[in-house]
Parts: sequence; C-alpha cells; structure tokens
Amino acid sequence: MVRAHLSVTTLRKLIEMKMIPCISVHRNLTCLHHALGGIRWKSSYRQAPLLTAAPARGLIDEPISVKGRFLPPHCPVTVCAQMHSEDGDLWEAFGHYNTTSDGTVSLTRDHSVGGSYLGCEPMGLFWGLQPAPGARKGLRLRKKNVETPFVVHVSLLDGHVSPSERQSTELAAVTTERWYMAPGVRRIEIRQNGVVGTLFLPPGPGPVPAILDLWGMGGGLVEYRAALFASRGYASLSLAYLGHKDLPAPRNRINVGDSYFKTAFHLLQDHPQVCADRVGIIGLSFGVYLTLRLATQPDISPSCLICINGPVGSTVTLSDADGRTEQFESDQKYWVFDDDGYVSFKALSLPANLAPETIVKIEKLTCPLLCIVGEDDLSSSSIECANLMEETLRAAGKHQLFTCLSYPGAGHLIEPPYTPNSRASLWSVKPVKQITLWGGHLASHAAAQEDAWKKTLEFLETNLRC
Amino acid sequence: MDRKQYCVKLSVQPSRGLMDEKFIVQVHNVPPGFQLTIHAFHKCDDGHSWEAFGHYTASAAGAVNVSEDPSLGGTYSGVEQMGLLWSLRPVPGSKPGLRMRKMNVQTPMEVSISVYQGHQTEGLVDQVPLTSVVVERWYIAPGVRRVPITEGGLTATLFLPSGPGPFPGVLDLWGGGGKLVEYRSALLASHGFASMALDYLTPKITIETKKIVDNQYFETAYRVLEQHPQVLGSRIAMLGLSLGTSVTLKLSVYSQVMKLRCAVCISGSHVQPPGGSLEQVLTCFRENAGKTRINEEGHIIWRDLLLPIPTDPTLKVDVGQLQCPLLLVVGEDDQNWPAPESAMDMKEMMEKAGNSHLLTVLSYPNAGHLIEPPYTPHARFSKFMTVDTRQKVMVLWGGETAAHSRAQEDAWRKTLIFLRENLYGGTNPGATSVSHL
Repeated sequence: MVRAHLSVTTLRKLIEMKMIPCISVHRNLTCLHHALGGIRWKSSYRQAPLLTAAPARGLIDEPISVKGRFLPPHCPVTVCAQMHSEDGDLWEAFGHYNTTSDGTVSLTRDHSVGGSYLGCEPMGLFWGLQPAPGARKGLRLRKKNVETPFVVHVSLLDGHVSPSERQSTELAAVTTERWYMAPGVRRIEIRQNGVVGTLFLPPGPGPVPAILDLWGMGGGLVEYRAALFASRGYASLSLAYLGHKDLPAPRNRINVGDSYFKTAFHLLQDHPQVCADRVGIIGLSFGVYLTLRLATQPDISPSCLICINGPVGSTVTLSDADGRTEQFESDQKYWVFDDDGYVSFKALSLPANLAPETIVKIEKLTCPLLCIVGEDDLSSSSIECANLMEETLRAAGKHQLFTCLSYPGAGHLIEPPYTPNSRASLWSVKPVKQITLWGGHLASHAAAQEDAWKKTLEFLETNLRC
Repeated sequence: MDRKQYCVKLSVQPSRGLMDEKFIVQVHNVPPGFQLTIHAFHKCDDGHSWEAFGHYTASAAGAVNVSEDPSLGGTYSGVEQMGLLWSLRPVPGSKPGLRMRKMNVQTPMEVSISVYQGHQTEGLVDQVPLTSVVVERWYIAPGVRRVPITEGGLTATLFLPSGPGPFPGVLDLWGGGGKLVEYRSALLASHGFASMALDYLTPKITIETKKIVDNQYFETAYRVLEQHPQVLGSRIAMLGLSLGTSVTLKLSVYSQVMKLRCAVCISGSHVQPPGGSLEQVLTCFRENAGKTRINEEGHIIWRDLLLPIPTDPTLKVDVGQLQCPLLLVVGEDDQNWPAPESAMDMKEMMEKAGNSHLLTVLSYPNAGHLIEPPYTPHARFSKFMTVDTRQKVMVLWGGETAAHSRAQEDAWRKTLIFLRENLYGGTNPGATSVSHL
C-alpha cells in the first residue's frame, strides 16, 4: 500500500491538471481528504500556521502588530485584510511577503514586495484598504456608528496572490476590531439651545480639557474624530451646522449664524466636566473658516486652534452678516472638471477668489494655531490659505502663535490615522451624481495622517493640559 | 493641589486586552514628587466588589509608569506591571472565601482604574478621583466561536479560533468543583487552539442518571474533537488541573483510543487506585477523608489524602509508559493536593523507565493549588462545594499572593509555548525539545 504524503502545492497542481476531481477551492482540508478518496492524508506532515494580531481590539489610531508563524521558510505569502463598511461594501488590502528562514512573517519587520503597498508598512493593511474590484464608484470609508468597531479580518494566503482572485489557500486568519470609542467613553446627543451635536466625554470625574470639532461642507453630524478625542482624554463636541434634520431648513444652506457657534462653544465650556479655560477648536475644510471666524468673535477665547486644509474666508456666498449662506451649488464659476467629469473645488478657496469681506481677521487671534496642509489637496487651496494665515500673523507681530505642518503627497481629507484615503468620492446624488476630487496619494497620505495626528495630540497636550 | 492647574492624565494601553495580555499604566502631568495612589476597581458578575491599589511617587518629569516605577505600598509593592489586577481583593465588608471566576466569557471584565491624591488605603471608592479610565479584559478574542457540544451525551463547550482552520485541539479539564468552566478554553482558542471545556463531574448525564461518567465519556470527547472538521485530529493535547490531572495522566498512558500529542498537568497527582475509573478515584478520596487536616482558621487541607506517595507501582499511573511530552506544573505551597511530591515521584519513575526526556516540571515556590491563567486575583482559600457530599466548606488552596501571581504568569506563558511547539510546530511528534522552556 502506498501512502501518499502530498504537500498542499502538489495537490493544487494535481487539481489544476484535473487529475483529481475537485473543482472549487477547499479551505477545509478534511473536505479535501474525503474528496481524495483513497489517499491517506497524513496531517502531521502539514504545517499548521498561526497568524496573530495585537492588540486585537485596538483604537483606530493604535498600531497593530501582525505576525505569521509556523510557515515554511523562504516562501511567498500574502497577508490580506478585508472588511465590510457599514454600507455593506467590501474593502480589501494586501501585501506580498516572503517568510524568513525561521518560517515567520512580521509586518513590523518585513517588507512588502507587492500588493496595496510596498516596503515595511506595519499598518499598510489598514490605510491601504481599497474598495474590492466590482465595487461602486466614489466610495469613502467613514464610520457612522462609533459605538461599534470596524471588524477587519486579516488572513494569510499561500503564494503571492490577489485576494479577489480567490485561487489561493487561506492558511490562517485572525479577526481584529478597530474602535473609535475607548471603554468608558460616554456618547451624549446634544439638542439644546438650538445646538445640534454629539458630545463625547472621557470616563472619570473630570474636569477635562475640551475640543469643539467642526467638519466641512459635506454637512451632517460626523462623530468619529470627537469620539477619538474623548478616547484620548478630551471632552469633545462634534457640531452639525449644515444638512441635518434637526437644524433649521433648508438642508443645503447654512442657516445658523455666529450666535449658533458661540452658543455651542459656551455649551462645551460651561459643561461641569470641562475645564472652562481649556477649550480648543478643530476644523477641517470649511470648518477651518468657521474655526477662525468663531475664534475671532468677542467673548470667545479658545486656548488653541487646529486648522486642516481649509479657507480663511467663506467659499460660499453669505446671505447675511451673521455668517448664514446661500447654497453651495449657487455659484459654480470656480468649479473645475477633469476628464472623468470629477469636480475640484480648489479654486473656490484661492484667497483672491474669496469674498474679501468674509476673510477672517486672523490678526485678532490670541491663541496658538496649528495649521495642517496636504500639498496634493485638490479640494481646497490649502497652501495659499496657510501662507496667508502665516503672513497675516507675522505682520501683526504674532508669528510665534503659528505652526504649519505641510505634507507632500497628502490630499484634502487628513483624518485620524490608519484609515484609507479616497482620492475622489461621491459628493452629491441630486440633481446629478457628482464625484469630487480630494487628492492625496495612498502611501504619502497615510504617512501624513499618522504624523499629523501625533502632532495634533502633542499640540493639544501642550496647549490644553499643561 | 489645584485641580484646575493640572489636568492629570492617566493612560492604560491597551484599553481592550485579553485577560493574559499585559498593559501599561501611566500617569502624566502631576507635579514632580507628587504622591498618588493608582486604584483598580471591579464589580464581578456575581455582584461582588474588588479593589487593588499601589502607592507611587511621581518622577521629576511629573510622571508615573507602573511598568517601571515601584509601588511603595498598597495591595502590592515593588515594580509590578500587572499588580493592579492580580492583587485585586474583595472590598472591606465582603463575604469571606470569595474566588473570582468569570463564567460568562462573552462579556469582558471591566476594570475602572483611577488616580487619587496621596498615599491612601481606605475609603477610596467613596472619593472623587483625579482622573480615571475604564479597561476591558476579554477571555475571548474577536472572531473566536463558541460552540456548545451535546453530542455523544457530552456536556461541553468547544471554542474555535478565527480563521479557516483546521486547528490543533485541546481537551480542557478542571477539577473537583465540577460545572462547565469555559474561560481557560476561551483563552486557548484566542491563542489558536480549538479547545473543548468538558464538564465531567456535573454533566447532564450524571445529573439525570446519578452515575459518575466512565472512561468512555472522555474518549467520546476526544473522538468528537478529533472528528470535528475544524480540528487537526493528529494534533490534540489534553490539559487538566487538579482532579483533571488524574484523568489526563490515566488516559494519556492507558487509553487505546486517545493518541495525545502532548499533555499538561497542573496541580495534580498520578496516585490513583488501579483499574482507575473516575468513580474509583472519588471513592479513594472519600476513604482517605480521615487524613483531612484543619488549620487555625478552620480551612480544610486535603493534601495529605494521597500521602505518602505509594511505592507500589500499581497504585499509581505508570508514567514510565508515557509516549508523549508531559508538562507538569506544581505549586510548592499546594495545600489541596500533594502535587510537588507527585511530580518528584513521576520524575523518578520516568528516569527509571528511560522516558524522562518527555518530562518538563515547572515548580513554583510559594504558589498554591489554583494555578490559572494570569492576572486574576489569587484565592488562598475559598468556599468550595464538593460534588458528592454537596457540602460547602472553606478549603485552603495555599500560595502567597505575589509569588502565586508570578507563578501563574510564568506557567501560562510556558504552557502556551509548550502547546504551540508540540501542536503547531515540528513534524515529528515527541521529538520536540522543550528543555529551553
């Protein structure tokens, strides 16, 4: 009697040659065993690889260490990450590695030679996530419900393959959870004094420093960055000002003025668990203009400001002196379309194109300002606006307040790290389906996010805590 | 201290970890030389409150790092990275004889860690801390599947790691307290082993028939594991604690059905009546009950029941016939079983038989009987209900808290290495050298 000791590779070759009637990929070797009929499978000759990821339940800005062990030495493997967004879209990333002489692969030590990213990139599987082939166009990965984690399946595949080809044997896998909220963080819906927002409080008695969190013209109520600030010990209020059912209608205009933002700031400042003299403001995109405008209001004295990729004035026509606006689509003369029909809003925020009366009097600022710029920003003239901010402060003798972080290859959406950048994504569906350009190249944008977040937290520590 | 002047910062990384994972606790932004107390508080599933605390003095940089700085007092002292967990004790006023065991592994253990001003020892829970965080400790990693097993008349739970499998398997046995205790198996699955926790003293079949299970019950469990499509049938280990050791040793030597790749025996003995059904083992204990001792506090010491270790080889499992690697874990202060003496005797037997290269003994001074996965509180004694008499008595397990906790950490780490090397690595069963453990 012949005992056939077959390796996985040999079996696969036999299957490909159709010598063994086994068509679909068998992830389950016992299945394979039965299908092979008389051939006795000696599983003690088969490696049982192990894949680990630590921490398995991490915060979104915590690096994960992924390791594979008990693999054949000097063998090609693919490490692959897959997750479903809340909308049900499949996102994937993968790296091609070669195991070392001791049969291991470590993403914190080894270099990817192909796939979604190259080189030694411990978090490439996360920031390199892209919509799987066949996905809808214009997707952007954003978490709406911050009380549950992103569940990312990390697997180890045989050979250098692309996961969507589904022709490779899955050797091992591990499930990881990526959280925006740390244990004990409380999420509180705010609908008070007309203010629409969500407040995140760190655990503990407080009082703690606080951050008012402002997003851009996409509108709605975006909670994840505020949740992460609370997970890092800051009370944070994410504020809606456009496109939310609880705000005054219509939804495509900003119908709240200066008093709305002031009320929100005071609401945060006066909260019993907040240190009243330690409140900062962060704004991205149009939120930058709102941050600067609010910071220069009387009786508003933030301890520090963070401005990411945004204009120093309003990019949409104001409808009154309090900052309310017309609809964003009303003036399209600065919209630029590329060959694919994607729109770039960049020219709207060129200082020369901003309505001069809306340009914020930055010289009135009295607190430190951290300006973050993506040099490949296709949505906002971030470099030009940052320069204007710097010049204005310098002319006013306040240059020491200004710090600028400028990232080559980074786009508009500089967000908390280890999440993928979308170079373009769906902006609107009505009246027409419109995709807008954000810019940013995957790897350089990821590096920018990692560094910017680290420096953001350091800036907040220095200005809000000490 | 003016609270407005300093915003004390406390961080615990990771904030969501496995039960056996270390964390780093740090305090920042206090004045240099500031005296503070770091306090841990936990309310277990049974509703009892537990606390631990350490006294620290901040560095010149105004910081404390629990992994590097010594605790000057509290429920633990010295540099103890995980002291806030393993030194947890019932809060004053609690019932005596408590033992923390998580029976529901699907929810995490939540621990509140806080910083208080000064070196305090009492009434911390009623004060307002300077700051606090919440930490989750999980027995089960994301993606691990929990599968109740009832086939073959078994009362068991199988935990499968995430991934395609198939995985090496572990049959996991606890001791004389009975019940279906899942947490160690959940943790093993979180480390890549398909682990089956088996209730063999109080399973449904025993409750219904009033009969103690025989060897066939265990062999059925082995078969169920072996034939499971997600388990590598030729890579199965058995792990037993206390009475579970008796079962493990007997089956690994004598069973015709079970072909174990390796075995781990914690706090147990090879001394058992010949012919050895479980029923007979329990009877043997009952017959020797006269050797029970009681200490000054009224705690029961059962270690003498099997002493002296018999010289007659028929009264012991013949470990000289063992063909797979065996890891013995014993606490030298075990007051419940004569584990250290048994380990020594097993070593002698195996040396005589020429198979001692299979044996590794981990012996821990001042560790007691209940050597469990690390970073949970040590119980030197606790209320225990014997399965047959159904009496509640206070049993002495032994062990001094700090030494016992160190033993748990070391033993678990080495157990995982032992299981990994024998079940995952290598192609030649029995040839794996574990002397470097």
